[in-house]
Amino acid sequence: MRDLPQRVAEILDEAVYRKRGVAYLQIDDANLAVIGAGGDLANYGLEMVRPGQAVLEQAFFLEGLLPLAETPYVLPAVEVARGHSADLHFHRDGKSLWLVLLDVTAECDQSRRMQQKAYEMTLLEEKEAQLNRRLEAVNEELRATQRDLLSSREALQRAHDRIQKELSEAAKYVRSLLPQPLAEPIAADWRFATCSELGGDAFGYHWIDPKHFALYLLDVCGHGVSSCLMSVGILHVLQSASLRDVDFRDPERVLASLNAYYQMINLDDLFFTLWYGVYCPDTRRLDYCSAGHPPALLFERGGVQMRQLGSPSLPIGCVPNASYVGEYVQVPPRSRLYLFSDGAFEIQRPSGAMLSYEEFLDCVRGAAAARDRSDVECLFDGLIGLRGGEALEDDVSIVRFAF
Amino acid sequence: MTETQPTLQKKICMLGGFGVGKTSLVRRFVESVFSETYLTTVGVKIDKKMVALSDRTITLILWDVAGEDDIAPLRMSYIRGASGYVLVADGTRQPTLDVALSLRHRVEAEYGVLPFVLLLNKSDLREQWQVTAQTLDELPEKGCTARLSSARTGEGVEQAFRDLAAAISR
Repeated sequence: MRDLPQRVAEILDEAVYRKRGVAYLQIDDANLAVIGAGGDLANYGLEMVRPGQAVLEQAFFLEGLLPLAETPYVLPAVEVARGHSADLHFHRDGKSLWLVLLDVTAECDQSRRMQQKAYEMTLLEEKEAQLNRRLEAVNEELRATQRDLLSSREALQRAHDRIQKELSEAAKYVRSLLPQPLAEPIAADWRFATCSELGGDAFGYHWIDPKHFALYLLDVCGHGVSSCLMSVGILHVLQSASLRDVDFRDPERVLASLNAYYQMINLDDLFFTLWYGVYCPDTRRLDYCSAGHPPALLFERGGVQMRQLGSPSLPIGCVPNASYVGEYVQVPPRSRLYLFSDGAFEIQRPSGAMLSYEEFLDCVRGAAAARDRSDVECLFDGLIGLRGGEALEDDVSIVRFAF
Repeated sequence: MTETQPTLQKKICMLGGFGVGKTSLVRRFVESVFSETYLTTVGVKIDKKMVALSDRTITLILWDVAGEDDIAPLRMSYIRGASGYVLVADGTRQPTLDVALSLRHRVEAEYGVLPFVLLLNKSDLREQWQVTAQTLDELPEKGCTARLSSARTGEGVEQAFRDLAAAISR
């Protein structure tokens, strides 16, 4: 054996045989039959191989390989039995083909461990790269969405600014419809604030004829554009006395006619309260009628006595043919008359407690007695102050007449 | 009276990049099991399974060949004597489809045209797929069509092997 001493050859042979689990098949590959078999066949699941039998039925892993023209031929690392891998060495010897199986299970296991780590690392890196790409795609989508949002917000802001400008112009127009304060022969002053840009409160006063002075305050339900449009419409009707066949010196008739015309069923469920009076300076008689409106307050003789001028009745527009009963009062000299919308006394304090009507009357009494500043300004500031700086919840209108 | 033909025994190879699921497909086909644990293959693992076709039974000798990677190219000697092969790609990893198509060319260059099926595996992870519908639509231009398979659910596995068995038994 290649000039090796017999003993060395024997040692080598024993070492290889022990370590490599050597087994062999001698095959007649012309007839595909086993000629002989030996060695550690059980290591490869070949213990049942019998000479003379078909080789492919006993060693199915050789399917397709035989006959083998070129030898020597080696197929490395073939797991021929579960958990056992071998290098398959094919050698021709005359008419027979020798297959020698050398166990490489240990080497395969070692390679598998290293390869496993390497593949797992590679797969993790691929996953990481994939995740990064997805994150980047999601980020890009977010950036695009952010750009869209910004663009939408700018468009909304432009629309908001335009609407705000239009509302401001509308509010300015509504204020222009309100009368200027008067000094004589009847003094009139007022304060007016809306809880939104446009409100449903409106009021006015004017001479119907040289002897009759009309004074009124109305409050359309709700706030905003629709309430405001309706209040402006009613204000125009009252200012221009444009109800057919109605004597505007007769408060009862005015309210009944308005009720016939402004039915909420035809007007998107909008209705309104109204206090309407007509004062005749010659007779010092004040005729008035209320439609669901808070009573007016008459302070007689410099505030010594206070009377509430109201009548129980429904707001205008709620019920067809509702009846409105007019009343009248003689107005002594040095009297003051206050008209309000309900926002003037339906006030919630910062503590959450509502202002009582009695407390409101006390506020009016206090303001009416003010001498150092305008009673209307004093009352308005006092009531707004009760809100503690909070925004108004309702429109507030206060009109004062001095007779 | 139909004459029963003798049992055939044929070698087929599982080919594809590493980690595409070749071993899992074989286990699903042969043992009807699936394991979430990834175990790499070194060299080649050999298994067999009998498949009953309409006119005969065929024993498939399955050579589960270690996946190709950047360091270790496919050992073409493993394919010697194969009657057909299963090309496997991982739908969640686009490059594995390129590897599969490249392997097909190399097999044909070395051993001529053989019957094969192309499996796009891991169809159960469809939401993670990188292989697009457009890519699949373009495959016929390259002379093949892909089937979807999942070793986890078994989708498309049995049918793919049966169709390949039928093709190589003709």
